[in-house]
Amino acid sequence: MMQDKAETQSPISDEPLRLEDLVDREALVELCDSFFTLFGIPVRVLSKDGTLLADAAREHDLCGYINTFASGRAACGATVGAVKMSDPHEDDGTLVHPCFSGLEYRVVAIDYDARRIGRFILGPYLPAEVTDVPSSLLELDPNVNEPSAKSLMLKVPRAKQDTVQRVARHLKAALDLILFSGHKTLLTSQMHLLSVRESFRELTEKQARLQEAYDRLRELDRLKSNFLATVSHELRTPLTSIIGYGEMLAEGIAGPLNDEQKEFVGTIREKGEQLLQLIQSLLDMSKLESGTMSVRKERVRIEDVIGEVIKTLTPTARKKGVTLRLEADANLPELRADPERLRQVFINLGDNATKFTPSGGSVTYRVTTLARGSSADEGGFALMSPVRAQIEVRVMDTGIGIPENEREKVFDAFYQVDSSSTREYGGTGLGLSIVKRLVEAHDGTIVVEENTPRGAVFVVSLPVPHGA
Amino acid sequence: MQLNFAGREITIKLVYYGPALSGKTTNLKALHELTADDSHGRLMTLETRDDRTLFFDMLPLVFRAGDSPKRPGDRSYTPIDPTMGMSLRLKVFTVPGQVLHGATRRLVLQGADGVAFVADSQLTETENNAASFLDLRANLKELNVAVRDLPLVIQFNKRDLPAIRSDDEIKALARQGREPVFRASALTGEGVVETFFGLLHLTWSKLEAEHQLSRIIGIQPHEFVPVAARKMGIKRDVPVMLQSCLGGNLDFKAKDA
Repeated sequence: MMQDKAETQSPISDEPLRLEDLVDREALVELCDSFFTLFGIPVRVLSKDGTLLADAAREHDLCGYINTFASGRAACGATVGAVKMSDPHEDDGTLVHPCFSGLEYRVVAIDYDARRIGRFILGPYLPAEVTDVPSSLLELDPNVNEPSAKSLMLKVPRAKQDTVQRVARHLKAALDLILFSGHKTLLTSQMHLLSVRESFRELTEKQARLQEAYDRLRELDRLKSNFLATVSHELRTPLTSIIGYGEMLAEGIAGPLNDEQKEFVGTIREKGEQLLQLIQSLLDMSKLESGTMSVRKERVRIEDVIGEVIKTLTPTARKKGVTLRLEADANLPELRADPERLRQVFINLGDNATKFTPSGGSVTYRVTTLARGSSADEGGFALMSPVRAQIEVRVMDTGIGIPENEREKVFDAFYQVDSSSTREYGGTGLGLSIVKRLVEAHDGTIVVEENTPRGAVFVVSLPVPHGA
Repeated sequence: MQLNFAGREITIKLVYYGPALSGKTTNLKALHELTADDSHGRLMTLETRDDRTLFFDMLPLVFRAGDSPKRPGDRSYTPIDPTMGMSLRLKVFTVPGQVLHGATRRLVLQGADGVAFVADSQLTETENNAASFLDLRANLKELNVAVRDLPLVIQFNKRDLPAIRSDDEIKALARQGREPVFRASALTGEGVVETFFGLLHLTWSKLEAEHQLSRIIGIQPHEFVPVAARKMGIKRDVPVMLQSCLGGNLDFKAKDA
């Protein structure tokens, strides 16, 4: 059992209803008019507090005659006032109120949902049994003329009690139907409104909870990146010393080493370099995630960058028996990019490609200009295509390839297509994730396609600035 | 419950809850059929075109408790005569069962004094019954009402269908549970009145314990439900009707004694 404020406002609470809220005032007037037209008996509808809601009546000639006398006007006013104020008792909800003129009123209760909400008044009409002008009218004023009064009285619609009762019952039934429909409509519209409001409240609450969770996650993510950056930095410092001292040992600065010692020191250095590279990747990753990686853009010729990359990778490739090639269009436009970061991108891609390509295979960098976005049309095509030229670099290998359902995921941090391949091919699973972020930092895109007959193609698209 | 001293009225709100198509509206229709015309108003159904309840159905039952017999023609008899007792208004609602109307169910449930949970006896509906009960519990929680504090009866409806949970199973379940359990076939009206008076009895016990309503109404505590039944034109003996209840605690005899 709850009795809070919300409940009393609920449409399904049991607050008393008002007649004026349930019916349309104009429709009610129309209904009364049609009753009056049909039966000739005036109809008035009053709310519970006595407000007149509808009035279908035309003054009888007799009433007009009575109102020409001052005492007649007073008596008429008193009668009408008394009729309007009378409240029918409960048993049959009907009250018959006689008028001094011999006419009669009938007051009928309007109940809805077992509660009194108003009443209607039928009359004045002439009861069937009245044939003569009553003394109460004649005694009103010495000037009242009996024959005239009688002729006027006989013009008033005459009605038997049970006829009036039938009319009353009929009107009551019609009103009840209207009230029920009105109530139903009222409830429906209120429920519509409340349901929408309740659903909205529910959604708002859920949304707030989600937002809160999201904010917390973002904060945690930021903390994680900060932690990663700090730790990587702290790891790098001593490692640099380890590698440095290893180098000095290898160079014999601390005295000559025998072959076995040289080999051991060589291994220490090699593994140290690997570790340094890993830490550098982590640092890059965290910088990219936290948005603190600085990209210094300058005019860059992409073919120069890739030429350098190939030079760097050639020793490793040769050792593995993989051929590196550059196929570039003539007259490539210049890019605005950070050459160091671009180098990182293409070294990474080339290194990967080489790693997964068996001996005798090849890795090809094909650089072309596209007048518009190729595979990745991001909308606004009609607006962008004439102005937004792109340079596309396709890094194609003849290696093991990447299954179609894995092509999206290879860019996730720490992801490797087949975790068992980590052991075979090495790597941290960070490289491609960094590549993607670096490409995106240059407003470019990267996707993976299939190479035929075998292998994978990494397609990097970089926008050419206006006027280049 | 709403108590209106000025209008000499007490309103008790009862809600029929349950999964979609378990027969909540059918219960109300049957109740409307089986009660006397002068004790109930029109059954209001707010439904969509496909005959599914959109917001709720409402059956108002109104009678006077604690009054002397009506005296036709007695002019002194008015609705607000304090010697004539209180007007008892029972408002029986159903909620829309379909899952998507969650917000509406909560609105209808708000302020309920008692709940009849109409379960579908068909074996295939067992999970839906449970899901709907969890929904009831969640909505009550949202309204800050503990299930324990709410008068609740359970009706296993559609006993006339094949492939239903057996009587023995339901009896065994009822013995273990706290809520009184009734069996019904709302379509034929069987068990509908029993469920209703079981719920009314349980609800009344609680309201009486908390508010001593019998004193306000001017009626003996144990008389209320039988008087209500009589006023609603139910000829059967209430204690006998309530014996059809399986398990649970109706608390009827305890209050009586």
